[in-house]
Amino acid sequence: MRGRGEKKTNFQMLFSNNRGAYVSLWFLLFISGVSLIGAFFIDTSQLMRVDLTRITEPPSAQYWLGTDHGGRDVFNQLVLGTRHSLAVAFLVTILSGVIGGVFGLLSGYMGGRIDYVMMRIIDFFQTLPFIMIVIVFVALVPTYNVLSFSIVMTVFLWMPIARVVRAQVLKEKEMMYIQASKTLGTPAFKIMTKQLLPNVMSVWIVSMTLNLALNMGLESGLSFLGFGFPPDAPSLGTLLSYAQSPSNLEYYWWLWLPAALLIFFIILSIRQLGEMIHLHFNEKKGGE
Amino acid sequence: MTKDLLKVTDLKQYFPIKGGMLGRTVNHVKAVDGVSFTVKEGETVSIVGESGCGKSTTGRAILRLDDPTSGEVEFDGEDLLGLSKKEMRKRRKDLQIIFQDPYASINPRQTVRQILEEALEIQNTVPKKDRPDKIAELMETVGLGAHQADRFPHEFSGGQRQRIGIARALSVDPKLIVADEAVSALDVSIQAQVINLMKRLQREFSLTYLFIAHDLGVVRHISDRVIVMYLGKIVEMGDKKSIFDNPHHPYTKALLSAIPVPDPAPEKKEERVFLKGDVPSPIDPPQGCRFHTRCPFATEKCKVETPELRPEDTMEEGHVAACHYMKEIIDGTHKPQQ
Repeated sequence: MRGRGEKKTNFQMLFSNNRGAYVSLWFLLFISGVSLIGAFFIDTSQLMRVDLTRITEPPSAQYWLGTDHGGRDVFNQLVLGTRHSLAVAFLVTILSGVIGGVFGLLSGYMGGRIDYVMMRIIDFFQTLPFIMIVIVFVALVPTYNVLSFSIVMTVFLWMPIARVVRAQVLKEKEMMYIQASKTLGTPAFKIMTKQLLPNVMSVWIVSMTLNLALNMGLESGLSFLGFGFPPDAPSLGTLLSYAQSPSNLEYYWWLWLPAALLIFFIILSIRQLGEMIHLHFNEKKGGE
Repeated sequence: MTKDLLKVTDLKQYFPIKGGMLGRTVNHVKAVDGVSFTVKEGETVSIVGESGCGKSTTGRAILRLDDPTSGEVEFDGEDLLGLSKKEMRKRRKDLQIIFQDPYASINPRQTVRQILEEALEIQNTVPKKDRPDKIAELMETVGLGAHQADRFPHEFSGGQRQRIGIARALSVDPKLIVADEAVSALDVSIQAQVINLMKRLQREFSLTYLFIAHDLGVVRHISDRVIVMYLGKIVEMGDKKSIFDNPHHPYTKALLSAIPVPDPAPEKKEERVFLKGDVPSPIDPPQGCRFHTRCPFATEKCKVETPELRPEDTMEEGHVAACHYMKEIIDGTHKPQQ
C-alpha cells in the first residue's frame, strides 16, 4: 500500500528501476537544449572566420575550450557541431524509420510474390557502396545542407529497419489473434494498423533508437574522414578529425577530446534510453 | 432444426513443399484429402483424431483461413469457396472460430473493449451508440464482469481469456462456431466451465458448433455427432451414442479404448487395443486403406483397395465407417493378422 503522498506518476514509474536511463534522458535534454539555444547566439560566419592572432590557445576564461589552428573558438564549434550532428542523426533516423517500417510492414504482411519483390529491392540497396556514393555526392553537390545530407544517408540506411520490422511481422501475423481478426472480416489495412502495428511497435521503436546512436556515430565518422559537412560548417566529426595528427593528439587535447567525449556520452545515453524503452514495452505486454 | 447448415463435399487441402534449387513444388502435404460431411442447424458435430490428422485444417479450410485446394463448402445454401474476398468478408459474420490457445488468440495490446469493438464495428451489427451496452452484455453473457472491459488480456487467467475469445466470436451473432481445440489448453476444472458455458450459449443463441478436439471425454459430453479422422480422411462418422457404444472401424476402437476409465477395476476393463508404430507421413500416405500400416486386422486387400464410407446392418441410421471387414470383425470371423 502506497501512501497518497508517495504516489508515483507514470513518468517516475518508467524510470524507477533505471537510474542510468534517467540520467541519460536529462543529459540528452541538456545537450540538445544548450546546442539549440546556443545556436541562436553564435554567428556561424563570425565563428568560422580564421584569425591567425590567436591560434591553438589553451582553454581560458575567454575561450572556454581554447581555439583551433584557425583561431576559432572550440566551445562554440562544439555547440553548433552538436546541433548539426543531432539534427542529421534525428532526421536520418526518422526518415529511415518511417520508410523502413512501412516497407517492412507491407512486405511481411502481404507475403508471397510481393514480399519477394520487395526483399529483392532491399537486397539491391544493400549492395550499393554507401561510402563511395556519399563521397561522390559530396564532390558533385556544391552546397548541401542538413536535409539533403540526411536524405542521401537515408537512402542507404532504411533497409535494416525494414528487415527487422518484416521479421517481427512474419512472426506476429501467424498469431491466432490476427487469424481471429481475419475471421471477423477485418480488412487488411485495418489488421495492419490496429493489430500488427501495436505489436511490432516495440521492435520498431527500439531499433529506431539504436539506429539513432548508430547514425550519430556514422555522421561523425563521415565528417572525421572529411566527407561529412564542409569545413566551414562545424561538426563533431570535424573537431574529432584533429586527432588524426599526432601533434594535436599530444599537445592540443582541447581540440578533439571534448568532441570525442561528447560523442561517446551522447551515443551511450541514447543506447541507455533505447534499452529502457525496450524493457518498458516488454513490461506492458505482461513481462513476457 | 433439420436444415443442413454446412455441407462439405470432397474437401482437399494440399500444402506444397518447396524444394530444389529453383524453389519448385516437389511434393504436397495432403493434410485433408477428400472429406465430405454435413452439419445440421443447431447440432454439435465433433471432429476427433490424432495430431496431424487434418482436423484443424478442415476447420480452417471451412472458414477460408487457408484456401482449400479443391472441394465445396456450402454454408446455408451458398458456396463459400466461390465467393470473392469482399463477399466472403460479409459472410464471415455467420462463421466464427474459437482458438485453442487463449494466450495467442487475443491481441496483447488491446483492451477487451477494443477487441470487441473491432468485431462490432466491422460487421456493423450494432449501431455505434449501443455498442458500450452490447459489450457489457457480451461480457455478462460469457460470465465476465462488465467492469472488466477496459483491462488488458494479461490481466486475465487462461479460462477468462477463453471467455473473451468466445465473447468475440459471439459479438457478430454467428450461426456456426468452429471451436478449434477450444478447451484443450485449459485446466480440467476450467474446461468443464467453458464447455458448460458453450452449451448454454448454444441453447440461448441457437448456435451450431463444429467442435474440433482430441479429448474424447469432452467430445462425449458435448457432441451430437462425431466424425473420426485419420490421416486426412474420415474413417468413421455417426451419432455420438452409436460411435461410442458401437464403433466399427478398428481405428475408432483403438481410440475409444484409450479413454481413461474412472474405475479401472480389472473385471470392468475392456480390452485395450494397442496400435503399433506412428502415423505415416501425410506427404506420401499409404496406398489402399490409410490405416493398413497400423491396423491389426489388415490384409492384402487393405493395401490395394481404398475402403469407402458405408453403412452396415449392425449400425444405427446415419452411422458410416470406412473398413473392408467391419461385419467380419464384429461377428468374429476376421481375426487380427500376424
